[in-house]
Amino acid sequence: MTNFLSQYSIQRWMEMCPQGYLENTVYGRGPDEHEPEAILDDAEQREAAIAATVQLVVGERCALAASSGLINAAPDYPSKRFLATQTLDEARHVEVFTQRLLDLGVKRDDLETTINDHANPNLVKFAEVLLEKVANGDFLAGVVGQNIVLEGMAFTVFELLETASHEINPKFAHTLTGTIADERRHVGFGENRIGSLVREHPEKKPEIEQMQKEMTYHMLATFADVFSGPLVEPAEPRTDDADFHGTNLATATPEEMEAVLSDTVLGEFKMRLDRIGLEYQSPPVPA
Amino acid sequence: MSSDEDFDPHVLAEEEFIEEVQSFEFWFGAVEGYLSGKSYGHDPEAVDLPMDEVERDRLITTLCHYCVGETAALEGASGLVSLAPNHPAKIFMATQVVDEARHLEVFLRRLNDLGVEDTATEIQRQANPALVEFKDALLKLVASGDWDAAVFAQNVILETMEFTVFRAHARTADAVTAEILEGVISDERRHFGFGENDLGRRLAHDPAARARLRDVRQNLDGLVLGVFEGALADLEVPASDRHVLGRDYLETVERLGLTR
Repeated sequence: MTNFLSQYSIQRWMEMCPQGYLENTVYGRGPDEHEPEAILDDAEQREAAIAATVQLVVGERCALAASSGLINAAPDYPSKRFLATQTLDEARHVEVFTQRLLDLGVKRDDLETTINDHANPNLVKFAEVLLEKVANGDFLAGVVGQNIVLEGMAFTVFELLETASHEINPKFAHTLTGTIADERRHVGFGENRIGSLVREHPEKKPEIEQMQKEMTYHMLATFADVFSGPLVEPAEPRTDDADFHGTNLATATPEEMEAVLSDTVLGEFKMRLDRIGLEYQSPPVPA
Repeated sequence: MSSDEDFDPHVLAEEEFIEEVQSFEFWFGAVEGYLSGKSYGHDPEAVDLPMDEVERDRLITTLCHYCVGETAALEGASGLVSLAPNHPAKIFMATQVVDEARHLEVFLRRLNDLGVEDTATEIQRQANPALVEFKDALLKLVASGDWDAAVFAQNVILETMEFTVFRAHARTADAVTAEILEGVISDERRHFGFGENDLGRRLAHDPAARARLRDVRQNLDGLVLGVFEGALADLEVPASDRHVLGRDYLETVERLGLTR
């Protein structure tokens, strides 16, 4: 364990993240990059971008609360130090996605109202399930909920958004590239550290699997809500190829996008839970 | 955040100042200046000069005390993220969490360099009881959910104590330890700046909170004195000079109106 955790030191994080892939960035993107005029000048597209970004802020606020809350519950100092880096990563994500809301024209005084108005209620419930475990000081359930379920979902959503934005919004795509690199590290820690703890505490499995089932339900309900909204067509038809696990996001219908996102996230969950000795629990299909 | 190197955030209006300095971007720009190219807080090419056994043992004792203090700071700061009353303050506390974890890491690494393999046992064996008691008191304030009191204990008392002791130590330390301490001191300056700024603004409009913090201060003063005495004695600071080193703390509590 000690050798594996030495890969998650602050020194290594400094070399990889602030002094690595974030060097010469401002709010995670190039200093001269801006939101495209096609989004800023089209009220519907701008509103859709704000609504999507709010969900990212809500998710990252939850991740910030969870990762900082888990530090005191961590059973060893290397885990505390890794969670400290994760806390700052999540704070950075809150900051860059909040900055995107400002870039999209949300007034600073209207930030909290905008977030409250657009936050998906199912995503809020998803966060509440996780934060209850954190508040109880349950390190094992908290890390599974945070670093496998929440981060697994975020990782795939960010990849989908990055693929979809690559051609039409390089600024947003570059912001996402840095967050994806962070999330990859977080998921890796969860898999590595938790596997041994699950083996030491097999009695915790049913409770953790129940938490995963509830979080997955709220996640799928969030996806269903988001993709059932009105379709916002760009002014110009897209001709680029934005392949995401075999689906071209430039031409896919909302139903196709929801299907590929859900299938990819659930596939990731099953694989990662299996690696740490937990069995994926299917939730009921959201109404 | 402004990318202009000569930019001074103090020219900003209060709300803009807070958004500016309580951000990942500000932290990122600040630490790049003094941590870039360092390995565990010092130049990777730096060579340790020979140290006699007494000096080495004394340094180990001092570093063990620092580890207790930094563990308290890490656990305190992480609890403060969720207590913070607004999102800029949450983001600032997140930067402080990683700073405190880095301090713990560089001091643990220095203990390894000095030949201590089982750092956990050594720290437990050498821990200053007053500091351990202070840590418990701080974490109780955090657990009680009292942001003002916890920020006072963490970002004013603990950070000022550390700043004072580290500065005194850096003047006489070996080159590697001194370089590590200089980086830590730069972080601590940011932390107690936040504490004084945040509390100063809040206490200006809340006399009841000021009265409550005076009580907190009174309860903790004995422990603070014990920690200062122990740390400065370890560093062989003459007794006649110790009151001068406690001046930063006294001046800060006076500025906050927390003297009786």
